[in-house]
Amino acid sequence: MSETYAVNVDDVSKSFGSFKALNGVTLRVRQGEIYGLLGPNGAGKTTLIRAICGLVEANDGSVTVLGQRMPNVAVLRHIGYMTQQAALYPGLSVEENVAFFAAINSAEAGVKAALELVHLYDRRKSVVSTLSGGMRQRCSLACALVHRPDLLLLDEPTVGIDPQLRVQFWDYFRQMAADGTTLIVSSHVMDEADRCQRLGLIQYGRLLAEGSPADIRAQGGSPNLEEAFLNLAGRRES
Amino acid sequence: MSGRRVGAITRRLLQGFRRDRRTLALLFVAPIVILALLGYLLRGSSTAPNVGIANEDTGPLGAVVAGSLHQSSHIDATDIDASAGDSKLKDGSLVAYIVLPANFSQQAQAGTIAPEVHLEGSQPGQDSPVLQALQQSLISIAGQGNNIHFAPNIHYLYGGPNFDTLDYFGAAFIGLVVFFLVFVITIVAFLNERTQGTLERLMASPLRRGEIVVGYMLGFTVLAVIQSIEVLVFSLAVLRIHNEGNVFLIFGMEALMAIAAVNLGIFLSMFARSEFQAVQFIPLVIVPQVLLSGVIFPVSSEPGPLQWLSNVLPLTYAVNGMRDIMVKGADLTWSSLQVDVAVVAGFFLLFLVAGTATLRRRVA
Repeated sequence: MSETYAVNVDDVSKSFGSFKALNGVTLRVRQGEIYGLLGPNGAGKTTLIRAICGLVEANDGSVTVLGQRMPNVAVLRHIGYMTQQAALYPGLSVEENVAFFAAINSAEAGVKAALELVHLYDRRKSVVSTLSGGMRQRCSLACALVHRPDLLLLDEPTVGIDPQLRVQFWDYFRQMAADGTTLIVSSHVMDEADRCQRLGLIQYGRLLAEGSPADIRAQGGSPNLEEAFLNLAGRRES
Repeated sequence: MSGRRVGAITRRLLQGFRRDRRTLALLFVAPIVILALLGYLLRGSSTAPNVGIANEDTGPLGAVVAGSLHQSSHIDATDIDASAGDSKLKDGSLVAYIVLPANFSQQAQAGTIAPEVHLEGSQPGQDSPVLQALQQSLISIAGQGNNIHFAPNIHYLYGGPNFDTLDYFGAAFIGLVVFFLVFVITIVAFLNERTQGTLERLMASPLRRGEIVVGYMLGFTVLAVIQSIEVLVFSLAVLRIHNEGNVFLIFGMEALMAIAAVNLGIFLSMFARSEFQAVQFIPLVIVPQVLLSGVIFPVSSEPGPLQWLSNVLPLTYAVNGMRDIMVKGADLTWSSLQVDVAVVAGFFLLFLVAGTATLRRRVA
C-alpha cells in the first residue's frame, strides 16, 4: 500500500539531452527508514534525490512523497535537503545561515538545537567563509534539519567530516529515524552502507539491486559489500 | 623565462575560449555591432534642428532674413505663426522659433534690430546652431545700412542662459548611474545564489518562486533607494545640477528605475552560467541603451529605424522622464511624464514576471 511509504519512486526516467541520468528507477522507502543510495560518481544518485524533492521533473514515471505527487510546493515544508555542495551564504555567520533556513521554513525556534547538534553552537558567530570544509558540511546539515523535516534527503553528507563526527552524525540519523523521520542518504563510500536499513545500488541511472545490507551481500555473492556491488554491476554489464 | 611554459599558458587560455562561444561573440561581434550602431546614429542622424520662422515684418528686410534662414545649413527652417510657437516648443516639434517683428525693417533703419528668439532650452547643444544661423542671416542685411546694432531678444522656455551641458546630461545620468550599478550588482549577486548552490536549496524549500524574486527585489531596493538618495543629494547639492522639479518626484523616478534594474538583473542572471558571462551583459544591455535612449543623442535626431528601437527601451522613457522633471519642471499632471512613469513601471513588472517565470530553469 503506497500510503505506508514515505517515498514512492515509480519507473522514473530522466534524460539531459542524449544522456540518460535515470533509466526506469523504481524504489520505495518506508517511513522512519534510513535508505542508502549507493553508487559511483555520476551514477544518478543526485538526480534521483533532486527528482524526489521536485527539483527535477521526470520524463517518465512518477514520484510520490508523503502521499503527494511531486513536484508539490506544500510537501517541501516537510522535506530537508542537504546538497552535495555545502550550499551556504559565505558572507553570513553560521547562526545567520541556519536562522535564514529556519525562517523560510517557519521554524525559528529550532536554530539553537540544530547548532548544538552539529557542534557549532560555540562557533555560531563565525563567518562561514572562514570555516573549514568539515565545519561547512556541519553547518549545511544544520540548515537541512533545522525545521525537523519528516523526510531528510542527504546528498553525500559525510564528505569532509572527520570519523568521530561521522559516527555522531549517524547516531543522530538513527535517532531521527526512530522518531519517525525518513532519511535517504546518498554515498559512494561503501563502509557507510552498513549503517543503512536498506540500500539501493545505482549505476548508469539504473537500480542494480535493492535490499538490506545482508540481502545485497547475498545477491552479490560476497561478504564484502564493495565486492558484492562490483559483482552486481559486472553481472548487469555482461 | 621558458618559452614552452609561457606557451602552455597562452595555449590553455585560447583552449578555454574555444569552448566559450559567448565570450568569443562578445570579443568579435559586439565591437562591430556597437561601432555600426554609433556610425549609423551619427551619420544617419538629421542633425539640423527644426526652427520656426514667424516673419511679421511689414517692410522688406524681414523677408530677406527669413529667406536667408531658410537657406541656412545649420537649421531646418519652417514658416510658422508666432502664436503657435510656444506650443510647438512644448510638444518638441521645434527647438526654437524666431519672430521678426512688424517694425523689423524700421528697427534696421534706426540702427538696432531686435528679432525675438524663443529657445526650447532643454538641450544646450541645439541652441548654438540657431543663434549661428540667425547671426549669419543678419550679416546679409548688414551691407544695407551702416552702424546696425544686433540685439536679439532671447527667451528660454526651459533652462536659461546658465543652463549648461552638465545640467542637460546630469538629469539623465542621475538615473543612468543608479540603473547601471543596481543592474550589475543584482545580476552578479543572483548568479552567486545559483553557483554557490543556495538557490537549489531555496527551490527545495516551501518558498515560492515569486517570494524569492520579490524578497530579492525588496532587499536590493533598500540598497538602491539609499544609493538613489546619495546620488540625488550629491547631484543637487554638490554639482548643483539644474532642477526645476519636485525632488521627491525625481527620487520616485530614480527608485522606479532601480527596481526595474533589479528585476532585469534577476531575469538576465538566468542566462549566465558564471560571473564572467554575467559581466558580458553590460556591453550587450547597457551600451545600446546608453547610445539609443537619448542620454547622449536626442531620440528625435536619430535615424527612423533606430527611433523604433529607442522606443522599446525602458531607459528611453526613464531618461525622458528625468529630463522632463528636472529641466522642464514636469509633474504628474503632465501626460508625457505619466507615459514615462507608466512605461518604466510596466517594464519593471514585465521583468518581475519574466524573472519569476524563468527561475525554475537551470537551478543547478
